[in-house]
Amino acid sequence: MKTRILMKGNEAIAEAAVRAGCRFYAGYPITPQNEIPEYLSWRMLEVGGVFIQAESELAAINMVYGASAAGIRAMTSSSSPGISLKQEAISFLAGAELPCVIVNMQRGGPGLGNISASQADYFQAVKGGGHGDYKIIVYAPYSVQELWDLTILAFDKADEYRTPVMILGDAIIGQMMEPFYPTDYKKPELPDKDWIIDGCEGRLPHVIKTLYMGDGELEMMNNKLQKKYKNIKNKEVISEGHFIDDAELIVVAFGIAARIALSSVIKLRRKGIKVGLFRPVTLFPFPENELFLISDENKRFLVVEMNAGQMLEDVKLAINGRSEVLFYGRTGGMVVSPEEIDKKILSLIDLKCNVKM
Amino acid sequence: MAKPVTLKELSKKEILFASGHRLCAGCGAPIIVKMVLLASDYPLIAANATGCLEVSSCISDYTAWKIPWIHNAFENAAATLSGVETMYRSLKKQGKIDKDIKFIAFGGDGGTYDIGLQSLSGAMERGHDMLYICYDNGAYMNTGIQRSSATPLGADTTTRPAGSVVPGKTEQRKNLTKIMAAHNIPYAAQASPSHWADLVRKVRKALDIPGPKFMNIISPCNRGWRSRTDDAIMLSRLAVETCYWPLYEIENGVTKITFKPREKKPIIDFLKPQGRFKHLFKPDAEDFLKRIQDDIDKEWERLQKEEACFSS
Repeated sequence: MKTRILMKGNEAIAEAAVRAGCRFYAGYPITPQNEIPEYLSWRMLEVGGVFIQAESELAAINMVYGASAAGIRAMTSSSSPGISLKQEAISFLAGAELPCVIVNMQRGGPGLGNISASQADYFQAVKGGGHGDYKIIVYAPYSVQELWDLTILAFDKADEYRTPVMILGDAIIGQMMEPFYPTDYKKPELPDKDWIIDGCEGRLPHVIKTLYMGDGELEMMNNKLQKKYKNIKNKEVISEGHFIDDAELIVVAFGIAARIALSSVIKLRRKGIKVGLFRPVTLFPFPENELFLISDENKRFLVVEMNAGQMLEDVKLAINGRSEVLFYGRTGGMVVSPEEIDKKILSLIDLKCNVKM
Repeated sequence: MAKPVTLKELSKKEILFASGHRLCAGCGAPIIVKMVLLASDYPLIAANATGCLEVSSCISDYTAWKIPWIHNAFENAAATLSGVETMYRSLKKQGKIDKDIKFIAFGGDGGTYDIGLQSLSGAMERGHDMLYICYDNGAYMNTGIQRSSATPLGADTTTRPAGSVVPGKTEQRKNLTKIMAAHNIPYAAQASPSHWADLVRKVRKALDIPGPKFMNIISPCNRGWRSRTDDAIMLSRLAVETCYWPLYEIENGVTKITFKPREKKPIIDFLKPQGRFKHLFKPDAEDFLKRIQDDIDKEWERLQKEEACFSS
């Protein structure tokens, strides 16, 4: 489709989910993601799908567990405090290998925090916020176009790997309107869902469970999961670079912070400053190799996040001491401004290369 | 037994919920809070579930509460207050506190009927000495008017929008007061800010009874009800007079209706001034309106029978 449309980020996610064949949504009110349930409350009826407003976040995600076990593409959405409440079920979904899509439009924390944009749920999303050894695929969109594209991709990857997938957005990206191309959904070849619970007349029963009490059973299950995560790490990394090749300072940022940093980088490039941007699109799997390959002792890295330095740890692990890694962040729902990033970059460049503005 | 209190006496008391809070003009919640706090002769400690009342009364460094007040999250006002109240009892037993303090939790219908029901049920069953007050405005107003299990039949909300096919909410509201009474707590009641003397009397009575108490108070919301900002008291009165919101109490299992309208008004008197029901006044919605009236009639009849079986 070549026509661009104008839509709010949250509504773009909701519509993309419908186009990707999501026919089950369960949610619960929390700002700043309410447009997703509100949109789907009427849209699901139009396409013969199911919309349920649950009595809590716990109930909503466990409804998704049920719908997914029945073989339906299912989604839930929330914002930071609500995602915390969903963590038990996310662990169960990962353990039971049930595909689903979970949207987190992050707001300031900890606690009730505020309703401004934040990126402070990085650890929770990427390191497995619930109990047990598990990972989920995490996408970090930085535009409404990507919200659309990655939501569609999320449903396919969830089914391909039988895993929960998270869209890690924030209050800005969910609330902002921008034009984008609503690309048509083409379903790729995916493995048959030959594991769903849909009545076992004429076949052996399927089992979906997370309780393994036999000697060594649970370790075998864990090994299977770890093999899957390794496979995901090998195949599903997405990242992009801007002005990387000759950059002396590379900003690393994800989601909305990357969008803000990019405008800063473009502006400084026009002034001849050798600065670039590296943007992980998948946070798990993290683009470790990609980052390692662009690092060397002549480059420096500046991680910019709207938290106190969470992805920073993964960047340091990836670069493994080959380059200096610095950090600039704002917390508590404060949004980094391009001017702040300009200033930070210039202060660093000045120190090292003595570039005059 | 608490002494009855006159309006004159109340007018001399300090109002413990300060003006300057950020609740909307015409909101029912601050009126209710003021009445509840005025009603008490005891020093109070309040807990608040997340919601309009909480976010609007504690912005940044300011508070509208002139009493000790604690907020935790959305689902746990009753649990949080359980902790406070238990610690108070322990300190009292140790002789470290001698004051006779009463505990009140405030939650909206989302934080009480839905996500907070588990912690409320737990607190009531454990028997904490607290009064839980639900200010029921019938939807998640703080997040933008999403339906709750307290949303009335036929109301238009953002997650159950009325359209050409769907007449707003098609499910019955939960009868929370009955659920709480079924915990066999010593006192459960319904009140309305329109009937202030009844409300104040019930709060005073509840605070004098040891153990867990519950009050459900109707709280008009002009944003969500799509009504005029100066109609809060009129609408809560109509809720009572149409028997949509009967005023009654259940004390030690005995039901007593505390206000019987001389003439029960038709439910459309309550629905018509509210934009959230405007789709029900189109020609083809008569059956649905009748269903709403029938439900209210049935419930009112049941309540009267329940009262009668104790008074005979």
